[in-house]
Amino acid sequence: MIMPRAADQLLLPANPWFIAFTLLVALTIDMVPAGRLAAMPDVLAVVLVFWGVHQPRRVGVLWAFVFGLLIDVHDGALLGQHALAYSGLSYGAILLHRRLTWFPLGAQAVQVLPLFFAAHALALVVRMLVGGMWPGWGMLLAPVFEAVLWPVASVLLLAPQRRAPDRDANRPL
Amino acid sequence: MPLGTLDRTPPPFFRQGPSALTKLALCSALALLMMVADARFKLMQPVRASFALVLHPVQRLLLAPVDAWDTLGGYMRGTQRAMAAEDLAKRQLSAQAERLSRADALQAENDHLRKLLGLKPSLNVPSIPAEVLFEAPDPFSRRVVIDHGATQGVAAGSPVINEAGVLGQVTRVYPLSSEVTLLTDKDAAIPLLNSRTQMRNAAVGRSDGTGMELRFLAANADIKVGDLMTTSGLDGVYPPGLPVARVTVVERRGDSSFAQVLLAPIAQPDSARHVLVLLPQDRHLAAKREAEVAAADEAASAAAAKASARAAKKAERAEKAAAKASGAAP
Repeated sequence: MIMPRAADQLLLPANPWFIAFTLLVALTIDMVPAGRLAAMPDVLAVVLVFWGVHQPRRVGVLWAFVFGLLIDVHDGALLGQHALAYSGLSYGAILLHRRLTWFPLGAQAVQVLPLFFAAHALALVVRMLVGGMWPGWGMLLAPVFEAVLWPVASVLLLAPQRRAPDRDANRPL
Repeated sequence: MPLGTLDRTPPPFFRQGPSALTKLALCSALALLMMVADARFKLMQPVRASFALVLHPVQRLLLAPVDAWDTLGGYMRGTQRAMAAEDLAKRQLSAQAERLSRADALQAENDHLRKLLGLKPSLNVPSIPAEVLFEAPDPFSRRVVIDHGATQGVAAGSPVINEAGVLGQVTRVYPLSSEVTLLTDKDAAIPLLNSRTQMRNAAVGRSDGTGMELRFLAANADIKVGDLMTTSGLDGVYPPGLPVARVTVVERRGDSSFAQVLLAPIAQPDSARHVLVLLPQDRHLAAKREAEVAAADEAASAAAAKASARAAKKAERAEKAAAKASGAAP
């Protein structure tokens, strides 16, 4: 079997409880009341795309939809706006998942950037059709910040899978 | 899929469930349906309320670090400033106490004069004090979430004010919290009265969130920068006389028959912390009328009961008299 170049190490299988835990943590990070900023990156979107790429059989479109509904209710947005955007994101992640892991993290971030752009554009189009307010050009920064968060999220979320299968003095974790 | 870390079942070659594209189509269709039902038909409120009830404890929990940060900031800024703030608050309180006592006297005088003139008595609207929990993060609207909901008696459509003036209106009510649409939201509208000229108008929020504007005001209308706009009370929602906004820009252009008038809200809508939720005026009136009708009914029924009791007593007496008479006859 050809090993992906970036993944020079055989990874342990991801624990489903860890996946659920990270998704819930991302949801709470999104819910921290930090004011109304259009440029605020959506951590939950990054984590959903990450698991869509690395565990497409565990975290798929349906889970993205449910988390989108929760965010809609918390934001006081149109019900279904984030659900639609996250479903699209998750589908994009599943489309990308065979190709993406062959690249180093920086190149991966560049490749997921259009995905995040598309999700924000979808939300913008939907809200403008319904008659929302113009959020300002700061909105263009949100997908960029999300792409910048991608390598961070990758390192953090892959760390438990990188543990040594049998610990010893040289590999305590 | 099993919940264990290692998936020991062989990979499903033939039964993989619906494809990702099918799922996407299903979810998008469902999302579109929900958006239409929410925006056009307003059918999703029960779903929203149940999700909001689930999320409420998490929201309250997440407020703790933000509050702690505020408290820490206040602590770091030192006692000097706290004492200054307390001093200011005390001075304001004493000034307001003087005004309050005068207001009481004026209110009594006003009631008396209204009675003399045969006018309808002015209203004393019941209110619920509440606290702003957080700004709703949706950048396409201007909303805040307050900590009182349907269980505390908040109703959709209630005006929300603070000590400076009108802030907005409750638009969504959940069991334990509610959403207030601020005056600067694009969909917010409020009928106003220019306190200098007594001219009525309606203001709507600007679409870029910078304030409010008066629409369709004639180019030669009497309006100046600095005019105070108060609620006119025509809508049956806001009680009349509350300060709302000040005129900041008046632009009269030759090519348009309307003047462009921009307003700045007096109460800073985004930095309010403690607010007052008022009962909508028409609902308050209806409740009052109902109470009056109920009281009248009660009085009538009490009178009827008294009358019937009296009649029964009379009949009894007559019967007794008749019995006596019949006893005396033989």
